[in-house]
Amino acid sequence: MSTTAKLSPRSGDLLLMVGTVKGAFIFLSDRTRGDFKMSGPHFPGQSAWSAVFIDGRSPRILIGNKSEHWGAMVSRSDDFGATWTEPTEGNIKFPKGSGVSLNAIWALEAPLGPEVVLAGVDPAAMFRSDDRGETFRLNEALFNHPDRPKWNPGFGGLCLHSILVHPQDPQRMYAAISSGGIYRSDDGGDSWNACVNGLRVHPDVPGATLCPHKLRFDAENPSRMYLQNHPGVYRTDNEARSWVSIENGLPSDFGFPMVAHPRHGGTIYTFPLTADSFRVAPDGVPRVWRSRDAGRSWEPLGKGLPDRNGFFTVLRDAFSADRLDPVGLYFGTRGGQLYGSNDEGESWRTIAEFLPPILCVKTAVVD
Amino acid sequence: MIELALALDMRMTAAQVIEAVAREHPGLRDRVLDEQGELRRHVNIFIDGENARFLGGLSAQVSSDSEIWIHPSLSGGTHR
Repeated sequence: MSTTAKLSPRSGDLLLMVGTVKGAFIFLSDRTRGDFKMSGPHFPGQSAWSAVFIDGRSPRILIGNKSEHWGAMVSRSDDFGATWTEPTEGNIKFPKGSGVSLNAIWALEAPLGPEVVLAGVDPAAMFRSDDRGETFRLNEALFNHPDRPKWNPGFGGLCLHSILVHPQDPQRMYAAISSGGIYRSDDGGDSWNACVNGLRVHPDVPGATLCPHKLRFDAENPSRMYLQNHPGVYRTDNEARSWVSIENGLPSDFGFPMVAHPRHGGTIYTFPLTADSFRVAPDGVPRVWRSRDAGRSWEPLGKGLPDRNGFFTVLRDAFSADRLDPVGLYFGTRGGQLYGSNDEGESWRTIAEFLPPILCVKTAVVD
Repeated sequence: MIELALALDMRMTAAQVIEAVAREHPGLRDRVLDEQGELRRHVNIFIDGENARFLGGLSAQVSSDSEIWIHPSLSGGTHR
């Protein structure tokens, strides 16, 4: 791997956008994903919680960066990180008088095309941009939801971390809040209903029932979704009207990420951790676990990962897939290792070993 | 360090000074104050050498010859 300050991707190249507690890093590879160039740190000293790449008119990288001193914002680069534009004024702000102030931007997603960016933040709320991430406005319906007084922050804060939009029906949206639950809108975000039927009550931490950690669509059937909950791993086959447990066969029901294969329905990946406060790979043996039958059975994938003394922690946004063939998978650890697989998880190697603790790993294929 | 001089006609509060400076430097306000108008947690304002938090916070009085310093805190020791 080489380090460079300027990246010049070509069509079909892969970008990895890696957010850490000390800045953002961008990795570039061709579609073989055999060699990566790195640029960064961008925003040194700031935490980078979220990222998204949008194309369309022109390529743009958005980063949800946070200065512990000067606050959180969505910054943008139109030259693959060579230069960045921080908004002059904060571009995600809660209404004056609401008593609520932005802490961090946990999710940046563009499921509605390159003009629209959705942001999930702490404290739990969703914002929408219609100008490619330059300005945002609050989703009032979710912010004023009657359940809000019952939402409670977890260790990471009160974060809205997962935003899904039905690929055929953009009026149908999902938002997952930790700890608040899963909410579905059937009217483009004008109203929201809780969708937690079937999630079991945690015997020690009742509030953790409503603590989704990551929510993903199935690749082929958007009525089907997969959930890594605080306690338990779940699948819904009916648009979150009910959930069934799919954790049987996993070494732990606890973890943060959930990743779905971009083309093969029923194929998903997770990274189990020892519950509840230890939160590292069980027995110090880090493994990605894959199911190819929608969670009915699981298999560990560990070729290239440590067989001992690997006390990895992988956070909810630090594991993702690209959409190349074969699919590439990438996860980052709190120890600063960035691992990648260019063969759908069959084997793994380190892309970077000594980054700051990794908060998010996002992928994009440059058009 | 950026140094700014501001002509004050009357006594003002620290909040009013920030607003006045932000009219010429619009990026300053949102970085020093959050959206509810509160001083950010890890930012300190010193007025003539005294931490404004002990002078009434953003309501602290500023005179025409006052010197105001806006400092990021050198705090640390967390998991970061």
